[in-house]
Amino acid sequence: MAITDIPILSMLRTRLEWAQQRQRVLSENVANSDTPHYRARDLTAPNFEETSQVSPAAVSTVSLTRTASGHIGGIGSSGSAFQTEKGNYEVRPTGNAVNLEDEMMKVAANQMDYQAATALYTRSLNLIKIALGKR
Amino acid sequence: MDFLKTMSIAASGLRAQAGRMRIISENIANADSTPSTPGANPYRRKAQIFTSEFDRTLDARMVELGKVRTDNSEFRLKYEPGHPAADSNGNVKYPNVNPLVEMTDMREAQRSYEANVNVISATRRMIQRTIDILKA
Repeated sequence: MAITDIPILSMLRTRLEWAQQRQRVLSENVANSDTPHYRARDLTAPNFEETSQVSPAAVSTVSLTRTASGHIGGIGSSGSAFQTEKGNYEVRPTGNAVNLEDEMMKVAANQMDYQAATALYTRSLNLIKIALGKR
Repeated sequence: MDFLKTMSIAASGLRAQAGRMRIISENIANADSTPSTPGANPYRRKAQIFTSEFDRTLDARMVELGKVRTDNSEFRLKYEPGHPAADSNGNVKYPNVNPLVEMTDMREAQRSYEANVNVISATRRMIQRTIDILKA
């Protein structure tokens, strides 16, 4: 049994991967905060209620459809579910709709999420160590 | 690793804002560059264009510095009959640079630069957290 098969660790891993992906999307938004016609994007939150079996695949949705039997099944795309931010009315004359303050708040919130998940991960590992009788 | 991609994207933002700053400083430095002969044109204000390019290796939309375009608005006319570049009416053409516009532009570039630096330091702290798991 691999260590990632332990449910709490695999759940936390999914959470960490999601935060990592989100950080990338947020940095794209910040970097493009002065590019004309750029719309801010964000990652959809993983839905933990739908499936009890949480896997990283829950985050990625885009995949190739096989329309003929002869087609080779595509490898699961790493593309994740992006969504363009809605309810954002602040569009500048250049067509850019990035609110730098909002993005900064999101980066900070994402960092805190990540910190919480890593702290829980460390605690879970400590639990296993206690069970092994190492402390 | 996604965190390294994040860093590269933010770095492209830093590069873009630094390039913009260069053009702004050129404009401010040349705010009073008059022509040497009557009838000639003075320095024309430049403007930096940003474009969003899709980077295939990083699978992300990076910022690229586009073409530097010139501002085609009217030159400022000043009445200075003694100036070597004065025309028959005694007017001298001054560059179409407005220091106030350049200053606000500079502030904006600075703000965007700081935002990108902020993303980089947040990402670094996240990487540090990951390493801390090993230490526990």
